[in-house]
Amino acid sequence: MMTKCTCREDLHTIKERASREMSAQTSETFEARVMVHMGTCGLAAGAQAVMDVLKEEVSRQNQVSVKVVSCGCAGMCSSEPNVTVERKGEPTIMYQHMDGDKMRQVFRRHVLNGEVQTDLALARIHGEGAAAKNPFAAARGQ
Amino acid sequence: MNEMRLTIDGREVTATEGMTVLEAARSAGIFIPTLCYHEKLEPYGGCRLCMVEAETRGRTSLVAACVYPAVDGLLVRTRSEKLDRIRKTILELLLAHAPESPVLLDLAAEYGAEVNRFEHQASFCIHCGLCVRYCAEVKQKHAVGFVDRGIRKEICFIPEIAAKECPDCQACFPLCPTSYLQSVYVLTEALAFPASAEAGKA
Amino acid sequence: MRVKVFNGEGCRAKGSDEVYRALTAEVRSQGVQDRIEVIEVGEEHCPGYCTLSPSLLVEPSGMIYQDVQVRDAPGLVQNLVEQQEPLSKKIYSPRKLEEIPEEQETDFFGPQLFWTLRNRGRIDPESIEEYIAMDGYQGAAEAILEMEPEEIIEEVKVSAIRGRGGAGFPAHIKWKAGAGARSDIKYVVCNADEGDPGAFMDRSILEGDPHSVLEGMIIAARAIGSHHGYIYCRTEYPLAVRRLSIAIDQAMGYGLLGENILGSGFDFHLQIYQGAGAFVCGEGTALQHSIEGKRGMPRPKPPRSTDKGLFNRPTVLNNVETFANIPQIIVKGGKWYSGVGTEKSKGTKVFALSGDVRNIGLVEVPMGTSLRTIIFDIGGGIPDKKKFKAVQLGGPSGGCIPEDYLDLPVDFEAISQANAIMGSGGMIVMDESTCMVDMAHYFMDFIQDESCGKCTPCREGTKRLLDILTRIKEGQGEEADLDRLESLSAYITDTSLCGLGQSAPTPVLSALRSFRKEFEAHIIDKQCPAKKCPALLHFEVDPEKCASCGQCYRHCPAKVISWQKKESAEIDKEKCIQCLTCYEKCRFEAIE
Repeated sequence: MMTKCTCREDLHTIKERASREMSAQTSETFEARVMVHMGTCGLAAGAQAVMDVLKEEVSRQNQVSVKVVSCGCAGMCSSEPNVTVERKGEPTIMYQHMDGDKMRQVFRRHVLNGEVQTDLALARIHGEGAAAKNPFAAARGQ
Repeated sequence: MNEMRLTIDGREVTATEGMTVLEAARSAGIFIPTLCYHEKLEPYGGCRLCMVEAETRGRTSLVAACVYPAVDGLLVRTRSEKLDRIRKTILELLLAHAPESPVLLDLAAEYGAEVNRFEHQASFCIHCGLCVRYCAEVKQKHAVGFVDRGIRKEICFIPEIAAKECPDCQACFPLCPTSYLQSVYVLTEALAFPASAEAGKA
Repeated sequence: MRVKVFNGEGCRAKGSDEVYRALTAEVRSQGVQDRIEVIEVGEEHCPGYCTLSPSLLVEPSGMIYQDVQVRDAPGLVQNLVEQQEPLSKKIYSPRKLEEIPEEQETDFFGPQLFWTLRNRGRIDPESIEEYIAMDGYQGAAEAILEMEPEEIIEEVKVSAIRGRGGAGFPAHIKWKAGAGARSDIKYVVCNADEGDPGAFMDRSILEGDPHSVLEGMIIAARAIGSHHGYIYCRTEYPLAVRRLSIAIDQAMGYGLLGENILGSGFDFHLQIYQGAGAFVCGEGTALQHSIEGKRGMPRPKPPRSTDKGLFNRPTVLNNVETFANIPQIIVKGGKWYSGVGTEKSKGTKVFALSGDVRNIGLVEVPMGTSLRTIIFDIGGGIPDKKKFKAVQLGGPSGGCIPEDYLDLPVDFEAISQANAIMGSGGMIVMDESTCMVDMAHYFMDFIQDESCGKCTPCREGTKRLLDILTRIKEGQGEEADLDRLESLSAYITDTSLCGLGQSAPTPVLSALRSFRKEFEAHIIDKQCPAKKCPALLHFEVDPEKCASCGQCYRHCPAKVISWQKKESAEIDKEKCIQCLTCYEKCRFEAIE
């Protein structure tokens, strides 16, 4: 439920809560966050099929609470569809050239069991969640 | 109203605020050729025939006189080798559409434009927009408009409005420099509202 | 020893059942049932190696075999019996975790600096909370609650940010003019009508981080005293439109948009207007006409939009990328922003890198980065061992830059000096197989098709330029055509009404300047060096080189090649449709 912000404090309150809740590292409601990069470029490369498999897999299990996010293009269109997997206490991994089979494998091996599917990975996104890689946030913290 | 002084072709000309270079020139009896200009209509700047050289603070630029505001101290040249070449090209491009238009032929003689420089085109319209704008701005009927874009752009009567308004108006007809408008109208009439045409004759 | 064949639903689809049966049969035929037990495991024990299937697990060694086929069964069983290192290419041995590069170590992401794209693919674009978590709306809060309009404009001035739509007009000058204009109604408009071929920067920002644009617009509105804004987004971007609408609703919900923003008493309403598909509506005045419900045609300037823009009211119009940069400038200060870049171009620039380059995508680099770095380091160079030829910058208004100028820094002035323009950020890399006449023809075809048709030079002139280029492409060109191209181009540039018309001949002129020889080859020698213009291609088989393989004969779609075993092929030139198929199929370079 949204309540209108009437001062800067309100904005800070939302920020604190949201920062905690957007990362698997700090969230109290989920242990893994899987982002399918679904910009127009990703969709053109087949991201919807990847998302469909992901949702099917998520609904099929009840061991790990997973937050599924559909987000924008990560930048490298030629490696799409991309999927980013973040698990509590582990490095975040961005996968490339995904399809339904690869998504199922990444979900069952990595998301559920913590075994990074290294052959499918594009890059490690280091640090505690996305915020650490954000120069904007990093500089603010100084 | 602020009075402004500008120099056009070496002559000092006074203008009032809000006047365009073209209006200032005309008020002083200096001729600048135009095709899309009409005193009752908003300046359009489409045909580009009225391009002049305007100099302010030592910088010369090519501007369309019909839309460029007259400002104090402006130095304007309405004829030069470059301007003549530009007008020649504009006329040649338009003559490819309407090789027999008297208005164009008169201007062509003045600027040495060749009727056959460019391959002739099927459409006679030179896109001055006088009909469309006159109908919209003066008559406020919007019975004729532009459709499509680029080289495929053409004028088109909207049958529903044209059937009602045009038979008794036709104020745009004399504005057309090529008579293309009339032929479009006749075609629209024949296809869309022949009955009212018959009634008109009766 | 036990061999588990994964035989779940997905594996069966790939033939695991057959593999299981083949293995069972093989074990029996080799008489090793007592040593090797083959079992199948179903969905419930699926380990999830979907891309490896059909796959099997050997216990107790724990080795996984991938992509096992029926024909592998005999060798596999034999090797298992002999306990050798079997069928090594089938063993699944993934690289180590440490071998996955850190994002910042990769060629593609390493040299980039993500400011505008700071949230790219990191946040859920449909969640305002996640944007706020990344310091979102702090800039707007600061601008509205703690800054005077003059201070905002001053900060933008210090940042020295220039409009990212292409022309590079300093944003603060526009804002100052907007703030100074006297009117009770003013507008802030965002140009999201990204139409250049090969440009997708704005789309990506709108799809991935829509709130950053909203926030930039709110700050602009506060700076100039506007209470109503439009985002003019092209209809071809349905996802961007959807995410923008969601973003606007959410911002309204939190009181960050609409009436009484953050309890300050400042109002700003925002509306999306969808363009109807005309390229020319990316031009500021045409865009305003379009929002007004009129035909999208540019009007002459002056008056400038900041005096008389949308609905004849003072209007500040910036593009998506410009607005997306504003929030950080407010939060971190103009000085921080201008700390990066060249003398006259500050901050970063986003490019859409595409064409004949390995890594295609969105690239954000500090101003001053060389084109070579972007194309060869970030882009990974030209694929298929081909040579670089040119890079096209700025779309239909821009030009192409040849190899000699690749060390140019990304900077508005430097790129103009190389006869191209920075443009909005489309960067199309072309390899040696690109014909520059064909390229010029493509852009001219685009422009003449997209011309609004209002003024004579753009409507008629670009069509004539296209006619000349078509003639050259078809081998009908004359030597005088090059002069005609140049003089007609100069005429269009001098006399067109709007910027699009004035810059329309740039692709042709820049191609002509850098690759004049190629134009001459088309006209004088009647040849297309890049082998792209079909009318200029004549195919012949060199009997010396022909290996009589018959590939050309088999693939010719027009069936005009005669060939018999042990004899060289022959092409019927009369009937040849110049499709290049035989040329590409020939492995002996016998077809010329």
